[in-house]
Amino acid sequence: MTASATYFEDVVVDKVQLTPAITVTEAHVAMYLGVTREMSMGSSDIPDVLPLCMAIGLGWRVPDPPMVVMAFVGLDWKVMKELRVGDTMHSRSRIVSKRPMRDGGLVVDERTVFDQHGEVVQQGKFTFLVAKRQKEASA
Amino acid sequence: MADPRRYFNEIELGEEYESPGRTVTEADIVMFAGLSGDYNVLHTDAEFMKKSIFGERIAHGLLCLAIQSGLFSRATAPYATLAFGGLRWKFKVPVKIGDTIRLRAKVIEKKDLAKPDRGLITLDRTILNQRDEVVQQGQTDLIVQKRP
Repeated sequence: MTASATYFEDVVVDKVQLTPAITVTEAHVAMYLGVTREMSMGSSDIPDVLPLCMAIGLGWRVPDPPMVVMAFVGLDWKVMKELRVGDTMHSRSRIVSKRPMRDGGLVVDERTVFDQHGEVVQQGKFTFLVAKRQKEASA
Repeated sequence: MADPRRYFNEIELGEEYESPGRTVTEADIVMFAGLSGDYNVLHTDAEFMKKSIFGERIAHGLLCLAIQSGLFSRATAPYATLAFGGLRWKFKVPVKIGDTIRLRAKVIEKKDLAKPDRGLITLDRTILNQRDEVVQQGQTDLIVQKRP
């Protein structure tokens, strides 16, 4: 398939995709704190929302063409384990469900963030509103 | 030495905070794209977005979620937080370049945990824009130390 985008119709439930890994550095933390002005919370040297933010970026770096996301609708997220500077994370996506709507459809994507030891660091579900092909054929 | 942090016992159910506002700029969105690696056209392609229902680029949902986390620390004295447990979150209205967001937060649950030195605090958090529209809303769980 040579499609350049994954529309709602193309989303396959139970499909699993793994992303490349990325080492979380002091530079990431400094940039994150600069953008958010978050004070360090807890004993970790990485703000807990940072791996979540990096997981969503990693999610685009998979073999399948990107989903045509019209909106990020919701998020359920759990933090299991602290990540530390120098750790290397990657993420796994699994499509849990899809439900057609009048415009597009809702796709629930379970994301799991792992560290370099294969341990689960954070996990949760993203709900996206994804465009249908007919509506955005010219995109 | 005075410890400015507030412990589990001192945080009361029903406490409410409101943060200062913060204007979300193009620079914030560009930096967040670089940081997160999320270069989706919604956030990065001005020409494409002119033709979209939004009419212009919108901020990443997670950027505003991250900004509210920073606004929280400007809304109240820091908690003696040991860990962030998780969150349940809804993205309701897009944030555009130049919008000013602020956080309103309320303590809605306090719960003891198996370990006696800590408890769970659940906050209801609402991000509002300059038109007082609810932009994002959800609950966050914080594991907070009890006063030793």
